[in-house]
Amino acid sequence: MIEIKDIWKIYQVGDQQIEALKAVNLKIEKGSFISIVGHSGSGKTTLLSILGGLTKPSKGSVHIDGIDVWTLNDRELSALRNQKIGFIFQFSSLIPTLCAIDNVSLPVIYGNRVMKNDRKKVYEYAEELLSTLGLTHKLTAFPSELSGGQQRRVAIARAFINKPAIIVADEPTGDLDMQSENDVMEFFSRINEEYQTTFLLVTHNLALARMTDKVHSMKDGMLISANNGGSPS
Amino acid sequence: MRIYQVALKEISKRKMRTIYTSFGIAVAVSMLISVMITASSGQKEVFNVIARYGHSLTIIPVDNKSSQSLKNFGIGTGTYIPESALPDILNVYQEAIVAGWEKLGALIFQEGTIGGSAAFPPPTFAPRLYEETIIKGKDVIVGGVNLEKELIARFWWDIAEGRFMEHDNEVIVGKLFSTHTETKVGDTLDVGNAKMLVTGILKETDSPDDYMVFTSLKTCQTIFNKQGKISMINVRAMCPKCPVGEAAVEINKKILGVRATSQMEIATAQSQIFQKTTALIVSFVVASLIISCIGVFNIIMGSIHGRMREIGLLKALGASKTQLVRFFLYEAIIIGITGGVIGFVLGSALSHIVGPILFKDIVIQVSPRFLIIAVLLGTVASVLASIYPALYASKIKVTEAFKSL
Repeated sequence: MIEIKDIWKIYQVGDQQIEALKAVNLKIEKGSFISIVGHSGSGKTTLLSILGGLTKPSKGSVHIDGIDVWTLNDRELSALRNQKIGFIFQFSSLIPTLCAIDNVSLPVIYGNRVMKNDRKKVYEYAEELLSTLGLTHKLTAFPSELSGGQQRRVAIARAFINKPAIIVADEPTGDLDMQSENDVMEFFSRINEEYQTTFLLVTHNLALARMTDKVHSMKDGMLISANNGGSPS
Repeated sequence: MRIYQVALKEISKRKMRTIYTSFGIAVAVSMLISVMITASSGQKEVFNVIARYGHSLTIIPVDNKSSQSLKNFGIGTGTYIPESALPDILNVYQEAIVAGWEKLGALIFQEGTIGGSAAFPPPTFAPRLYEETIIKGKDVIVGGVNLEKELIARFWWDIAEGRFMEHDNEVIVGKLFSTHTETKVGDTLDVGNAKMLVTGILKETDSPDDYMVFTSLKTCQTIFNKQGKISMINVRAMCPKCPVGEAAVEINKKILGVRATSQMEIATAQSQIFQKTTALIVSFVVASLIISCIGVFNIIMGSIHGRMREIGLLKALGASKTQLVRFFLYEAIIIGITGGVIGFVLGSALSHIVGPILFKDIVIQVSPRFLIIAVLLGTVASVLASIYPALYASKIKVTEAFKSL
């Protein structure tokens, strides 16, 4: 379970203080499939990065499965990000010098969890993920050899390689066409059901948001409403 | 895949950056290696010269009342060492050499075998008798020598024309004597009361020998009525590192009426000058290595700024600070090894060009240890230059990079 308590994020820009988040409270149960919508600058991405352990809040706390995220040291926080959270970023985020399958396997390498015998299994699972996302023929392709949509799908596969409990996705289908978008959402839904993985999506796309179980709206750094969405199909 | 493999892939994909960075290391390493190879080979050359010329003693009578003309040659007549003292001098010499080696902790197996397994022939004591006389109207010094021993002590002696003397009535003459007195092979010279046949002319030696006339020691002693007397003894140690200086001290202490002088001091002084010069050059080159490090530092820092997104991404995916530092240090090690190997190849080639310019007849010897030194130098330089950038990268805030993702 994720519990966000009275989160504030204040940026100092010159003499001005900008409140990106104001007293945000949110509880997300394990296995939830929720989305956050809002205009640009409403604080969606900031909230996402705080609960993902990427940005330290100015005030408040984030608990994941009872662990106060922002009291962890660097090593513990790295391990938490690596093992519990899968990130899908807003824009292409692949390492240009690694091929698709190596990019997908990267979190396992940094998680120090590759035993000699596991290495084959990791690559097999990476291949399975890429195949599921329609990239069977692009396993050894480098990012420069992939289209924007293909790169996005590699990044999605990477988020799942460690079988994380939480997937944090910022505009996950931004570069995808309608068909691919539906395929990806279907994939998310299947993972959500099979593994009880918690999904937290940030999007401008209301149609996409409606595919989630619950839609939260943000405005001026505050959570203003929560509506039940529809089930992704 | 491991972190070092990720670093390896990173390096292999960014070839130009790797080449630039490695080349920065390679240039400095090559300079250092070329200096080290040249210095090492030059030092060997100096040791060879020391072995050839330096390890010798000159033993002369103490009360040397030489004439002015002879002083100019650094040799003297008028006082003598009795020939009968030779065994005593040899004895003191050998005892001093053995004691010197023992002090150094070396093993002495048998006479003439010093310092472990290397066997050296016993020392050569070449006695000379000098007598001043007038030949063809000129003041000349006649040297009586034991030819067999003289050719060992003065191994650079060579005949320009004719042959060495073989009989009692034969002489050889120095090159400049021959030129100034127009003496040729086959001429007869009046030496004292004797008629002597010139059988050969020595090649120039750049020493007083060039102005002298030489005959056998026995003949010289007979002609000048100096039986049983010698003017000096040239000692050739026959082993490169024999402690001849200590032998000289012992001879001076124990044998009355003689003065032994080691020529080692001069050679050692030359060697020290060489070493100091080498150290000076090395310090300049080390300075260039430091400048290279700064260059590598700049390249890596630039590379880190260009890879902010990647670094942030790696952190977001769970890379800890330690892992990021390791990642960049692996890169540095790979770059350092590459730079070291290239530096070794360039340095070896450079030493073959520079060496012969600095030392005539130098034999450049490229030992595998220089490859190890080059790789170590390259790696250490690269790692040192990368420590700060690696720490800097590990401290980059994910949010900074996250914004740009």
